Amino acid sequence: MKFTISSDPIQPLTTSHDAAGGFVTFEGKVRNHADGQSVLGLEYEAYAEMAEAQGSALLEEAITKFGLLEAVAWHRVGKLDIGDTAIVVQCAAAHRREAFEACEWIMDQVKWRVPIWKRETYATGHSEWVHAGSTPNAASDDGMFARQMRLPQVGAEGQQILQQARVLLVGVGGIAAGSLPALVGAGIGTLGLLDPDVVDFSNLHRQTLFTASDQGRLKVERAAAFAKRLRPAVNLETYPDRLHSGNVDTLIQSFDWVLDGTDSLDTKFLLNRACRAHGKPLITASVHQFEGQLMTIHPDGPCLQCMFPEPPPEHCVGTCAQSGVLGVVPQVLGAFQANDLIKGILGLPTLDRELVLIDLLSLSITTLRRETNPQCPMCAGATTTNIDWDLASLPDGNFRLVDIREPDELPRLTVNHEAIPSEQCYAVAWDQPTVFVCASGRRSYRLVADLRARGQDQVFSLQGGIENASL
Amino acid sequence: MKRVTVRYFAVLRERRGLSEETVETTASTLGELLNELIAKHRLGLPLSLIRVAVGTDFAEANRELVDGMQLVLIPPVAGG
Repeated sequence: MKFTISSDPIQPLTTSHDAAGGFVTFEGKVRNHADGQSVLGLEYEAYAEMAEAQGSALLEEAITKFGLLEAVAWHRVGKLDIGDTAIVVQCAAAHRREAFEACEWIMDQVKWRVPIWKRETYATGHSEWVHAGSTPNAASDDGMFARQMRLPQVGAEGQQILQQARVLLVGVGGIAAGSLPALVGAGIGTLGLLDPDVVDFSNLHRQTLFTASDQGRLKVERAAAFAKRLRPAVNLETYPDRLHSGNVDTLIQSFDWVLDGTDSLDTKFLLNRACRAHGKPLITASVHQFEGQLMTIHPDGPCLQCMFPEPPPEHCVGTCAQSGVLGVVPQVLGAFQANDLIKGILGLPTLDRELVLIDLLSLSITTLRRETNPQCPMCAGATTTNIDWDLASLPDGNFRLVDIREPDELPRLTVNHEAIPSEQCYAVAWDQPTVFVCASGRRSYRLVADLRARGQDQVFSLQGGIENASL
Repeated sequence: MKRVTVRYFAVLRERRGLSEETVETTASTLGELLNELIAKHRLGLPLSLIRVAVGTDFAEANRELVDGMQLVLIPPVAGG
């Protein structure tokens, strides 16, 4: 093998080619920062057989392409400290120019083509799996996605939109076994994986992201390793944590879509509340024995609590452990979930107000229509959250009008108002009716949804914002 | 006496032991019928945690029960 995966420190060679006028050794080191964050250390993991085969193939390619006499490389795996050598590439050529160019080309190609990824541990205590390199050009991705890019609904533009998407999977079990491979395969750029559990032997019949040798290891870590083997360039953020009211808001805000594959009613209702507050679409799936429920809950449509205004107590309806489940059932629900998500990201029609009941024993699908429930504690407020006024002829009344845009956003309002940027509005107790306005009505709607989720009921959003007003 | 069909989903199907049945009842509203079924078959959930659909649309418990209605009973589902 010209390309070697090594768990021991790398010892570079000296060249033995008499015809070599240039012999370049490149050493890649572990540095103490990444993307502005302090890094304490790194852990590299490789799919070793494939990495050595792919790496050796590209070294052969480099020899032909640049007319080299020799090219060899080593990549470390395991835990490395700051200053350790992670990779060594050596190229021998008749002249120095080819040797330098080949070294650089090999480094770019290794980062894209060889399945090696690293987990950076940051000074904040957080750690993250990232691909060892970035895509040198979009054409490399096109090869993987060529068949789906042929679809008129996808194309190069759709593929780019998928690459930019950030999707959070809450619960990495049986449902994720159906959704995760489809999402990684489709080229979703960034996936967040949240689950506090380790792999148990009794999970494996349905949670086929994992293997028998994964028992006792964190599900998020093993699922990340699965995803990296499928597509080395996928970005993964792992959260080996339970979702609770203290972390849900921060987590959800950085993602575009949320997929619920948990087995907990409390978590499902918590996600419903948080997604509603932050205006995030939520695709929720649940299973029981041979059947499943699927809903895509859009920020402006009926929510989970519209169906069940009083959140049910945990364990009232049976779990997989109590009632049993056929392994393929959550996988099918996960695949449906992925299908709706991909369509949603691409702007194609998705489920909207439907509750889909899928019975895999009789192979029948029942679709019911959900409605916004005026008794829903989440949505009852939301239906009166938006105020459809014309800014030019505001009604008289005892209310405050607050422009939450940044001070440099134009045009400024000409009517009597206060200007308070939105991030400063959270700390205020709004004890008299207040109407918030932004450019389009989106930021003000989210602010109002957030404030209402915190119990403030005197706040309203001006629908359509300033863009919709005749000033 | 009214005759209506009732379809059960998830834990309700499991506790009832069947997917669908025809029920004869004198109940005047959906809620009354549901309370009868909850008691008779020990469905284990209160009325407030069972959603009922008539055909493909959700309906409130105080809706009048009409002969020939096709009802679907849906509980919350937790597994994943």
